[in-house]
Amino acid sequence: MNMYVHELKAYRKSTMIWTITLMAIVILFLLLFPSFSRDAEQFMKVLEGFPEELKKALGLTIDTLATILGFFSYAFLYIKLSGAIQAMNLGLSVVSKETRDKTADFLFTKPVTRVQVMTSKLLAAITSLLVTNIGFLVTLFIMVSIVKTQDYSMKALFMIAITLLFLQMIFLGLGILIAVLFPRIKSVISVSLGTVFAFFMIGMISSSTDDEGLRFLTPFNYFNDQYIIKNLNYETEFIWISMAIIIVTVFASYSIYRKRDIHSV
Amino acid sequence: MNIITREMKANLKSLIIWSIGVLFMVGAGMGKYAGMGGSGETMNELMAEMPESLQAIMGTAGFDLSKAMGFYGLLYLYLIVMATIHAVMLGANIIAKEERDKTVEFLLVKPISRVKVISFKLVASLLNVLVFNLVTLASSIIIVGRYAEGEKVVGDIVLLMVGMFCLQIIFLVIGTAIAVVYKNAKKAGAVSTGILLITFLLAIIINLDQRLAALRYITPFKYFEAEPILNTSSLDPFYLGLSLIIVVVLTFTTYHYYKKKDLHL
Repeated sequence: MNMYVHELKAYRKSTMIWTITLMAIVILFLLLFPSFSRDAEQFMKVLEGFPEELKKALGLTIDTLATILGFFSYAFLYIKLSGAIQAMNLGLSVVSKETRDKTADFLFTKPVTRVQVMTSKLLAAITSLLVTNIGFLVTLFIMVSIVKTQDYSMKALFMIAITLLFLQMIFLGLGILIAVLFPRIKSVISVSLGTVFAFFMIGMISSSTDDEGLRFLTPFNYFNDQYIIKNLNYETEFIWISMAIIIVTVFASYSIYRKRDIHSV
Repeated sequence: MNIITREMKANLKSLIIWSIGVLFMVGAGMGKYAGMGGSGETMNELMAEMPESLQAIMGTAGFDLSKAMGFYGLLYLYLIVMATIHAVMLGANIIAKEERDKTVEFLLVKPISRVKVISFKLVASLLNVLVFNLVTLASSIIIVGRYAEGEKVVGDIVLLMVGMFCLQIIFLVIGTAIAVVYKNAKKAGAVSTGILLITFLLAIIINLDQRLAALRYITPFKYFEAEPILNTSSLDPFYLGLSLIIVVVLTFTTYHYYKKKDLHL
């Protein structure tokens, strides 16, 4: 319990900064929605003069994009990017800081097992992510109700927005596992930024070319917003994959951490 | 002189990893191009009519995707992101690591002035950034050249890479300036990547609304965008000048503050 509180306190500032950042991104993007939806309407008029099949193909995409849900899923891409960096950072630093700051000796001479240490750290990280997500969701729903031009499916919006938490859990697990595997990480941010951006770019390439195979490689594309809007459901196989990744990374981290040699002063 | 060699060696591993990363990025990205069909005349005509905000969300942003260079223009944004992440972290770390790893005492008791220390470190990081740029340039020319059917690509790619080099140097000195000004060396990496993320998101948001166009001077990601470079086959002299001013000011800041910095031992 002490360790949990200690970790929470240690990450209080960074959690606040990340939460505020995510809230700011949401507000900024959604403030632009009214003018965007006017732009889209005008363009739909231009579209009238073009061949029928083109109108159909493009008109449909624009119809889905120009709604608040479509617009939000665009903004959500960048929210996910920031969220993933936060989660990965958290996962990496929560474990590796003991070695880096040479506090491991101090910690492990206390009468607690390593499993307890890991559990408190994990719980603290999850709490921090939950706080961020609550801040994000509240801001999102307030903003959407302000800028919306027509009715939208609240359920779909929530289902999309909550995937941020799923994504963050995946990256948290990944971060912890990497930190356990490579104890001598000197600069947490380099590792997390490199990894997250690599996945992000694979995701962008995969979605701009509609490559189904690549989708499996990047957590960014596990939850397809368009699919959620249409079916009000997640794609089952990707839910399984996400859960598998989270469970495997956490389980592996525990078992490695239990026996790892701790570099001390 | 020794410092340069030492820094080159210290950064060799990360430089190799980054180079492989960027090579993979160009290769995988252009490989996807091979699978894309041309979008045809009418589509391009229609795209030209589309409001910029809509183009941004559709993710095509005025590129003719039926041409290899058009597709490369799309990829360029991600190459820039990679290059700037590399540069900003290199800049921040090359200075902050001495304090973080508690080697600054060792370094500064050597018979060498602080100005020289900074100069050597800057030269070493410039070399790193240059290698990154040349690797991107070479792999782009070779790989894009293979997909281009009769298009002239070398000139445009060189121009784009000059633009990228300017951005790399801007972010390199942003990194060093932050590492020098900021008291807490451990946070330098986080702060400078935070700035990178914010400017990146700003560049994305500016695309969504005409009214935000005035903000484009704030974010370097808007200085050398692929579209105007490819359309005019030249770099905007105004932004070249602005980049030069930014670099000079930040380099000066780096020297000025490091000369008097209280170092944490």
